[in-house]
Amino acid sequence: MWSEKYRPSRLDQLIGNEDARLVLSLWLSKWKPGTKAALLVGPPGTGKTTFVNLLARADGMNLVDLNASDVRTKEKLQRRMGEAMSTVSLFGERSLIFLDEVDGLAGRADLGAVEFIKESVKESQNPIVMAANDPDSDEIKKLSSSCMTVRFRPPPPREVEMYLREVARGEGLAVGDEELRALVIEAAGDVRQAINLLQSTQNAPREEGRGRYKDKDRTVSEAFNGFFGAADKGEALASLRDLSMSPFEKVREVQRSVVKSGLPPGAMAKALETVSRADLLIGKMMKAGDWRLLRYLDRLFAEELFPVVKGMGVKYAGQDDLPFPVLVRVWNDSKKVREVSVKYAAKAHTSGMSARSQDLPYVFALCSKKKFREDLERALGLDADPDLLQSYDRFLQKEAAR
Amino acid sequence: MAEKKRIVVGGWFDLPRLGTEVFSALVRKQGVVYEKSTGFKFDSGTDLQGAVRTLRSAGVDVELTLRCWICGKEACPGCPYLQSCDRASVSSFCLCADHSPEKSVFGEYARTFDVNLKG
Repeated sequence: MWSEKYRPSRLDQLIGNEDARLVLSLWLSKWKPGTKAALLVGPPGTGKTTFVNLLARADGMNLVDLNASDVRTKEKLQRRMGEAMSTVSLFGERSLIFLDEVDGLAGRADLGAVEFIKESVKESQNPIVMAANDPDSDEIKKLSSSCMTVRFRPPPPREVEMYLREVARGEGLAVGDEELRALVIEAAGDVRQAINLLQSTQNAPREEGRGRYKDKDRTVSEAFNGFFGAADKGEALASLRDLSMSPFEKVREVQRSVVKSGLPPGAMAKALETVSRADLLIGKMMKAGDWRLLRYLDRLFAEELFPVVKGMGVKYAGQDDLPFPVLVRVWNDSKKVREVSVKYAAKAHTSGMSARSQDLPYVFALCSKKKFREDLERALGLDADPDLLQSYDRFLQKEAAR
Repeated sequence: MAEKKRIVVGGWFDLPRLGTEVFSALVRKQGVVYEKSTGFKFDSGTDLQGAVRTLRSAGVDVELTLRCWICGKEACPGCPYLQSCDRASVSSFCLCADHSPEKSVFGEYARTFDVNLKG
């Protein structure tokens, strides 16, 4: 992936937020105990995390990286941050403490975490940098009095174009001004997205002409093949993160690819175990409405699935290449499948979509047993009309036979 | 009729008297820098979108313009992205026509950061 190949490795290679980068670099160079912490505020994808990583590297500091929404209570924060805050090496070398997503503390009782951070800022022997997406959250407002707030914004289009031209030059490409500008506007300030779009235009067959970079299926296939064929976990993670797709679809596509892959039984079991864990994660996320869990999905695949499939020749199973024949019927929105799924969903206290995509494939398989089929027909009220019952019974038998 | 005010992001500018409420919102809430001798300034800590909204609601129609990171000149005149670029939501510096992306200026752009950091 070009977005990985051209990922900045030094502070001066970043684009956008020039004044913010300068202010923060100077803040760190002059930092001494008692100095305010730095609070980076800006929308996702503006380079806050990348900047902090490069800042620590530029100053030769060890980065202690914590995600604030994982450690919500004072006790947990104390455990994780306490040692890092008070420890300086024998030679006076400091660590940079990075608390990402501090706005993740908001929304629920933060159990003293914000007060703990405010106190820690005053006492820490090491500089603390925090990052947040939502500047208007109450917790950020509470923290801002003890922090120097610096805003991160997307780079202007001309700077994105400059970076794209640099990538194009590195790849030996000649891209027209108009085409390049269309990509810049399409990416809307997201540099990684702009690079991905550039790469997808160059990999597409020439005869497809302008607009070919909008081919979603190809991008999906590239991202999944990028994941399965990645050199390491980092590259695998980046490939999945570049993919704009609902988590349900992501898990489904990974599952289909794994099932179609022909992995040896042991590896297949391990891979499907991870897919199952991902499915449980999504279920938990939906049940609790806790969307922050979503960030673990890609990581779970990169950390647990990637080592299993690495070098095993797994490829993305295309959208039209379904592994389970029964799923063809489930996903093709046929009238009967919809009717059964609505009735089933009402009885099973689930949604029609969940019924279609998760439960019914198995329920249909069990319908090969006459007793089960008849019980199901009664339970779903399909036996109300004898003519309809006959038609449903034939349909269920056909599905079971698939 | 609203007064049209052209503001260079990162540069000092003056404002007519708009009342303590507007002043307080700009300086305390939206992080606009104020110094009695030089006036107001939008910097890296400013909530640009909020400040522009406050000024507009106070009857000051604002047109933002960015400066070139390499030479400091105004960057927006003649920019091909002028219509599509929301200057209140992008970062404060850009590139002028003399340092346009077509001229392979990335090396110069990166060096400017190092120079400013050392200077």
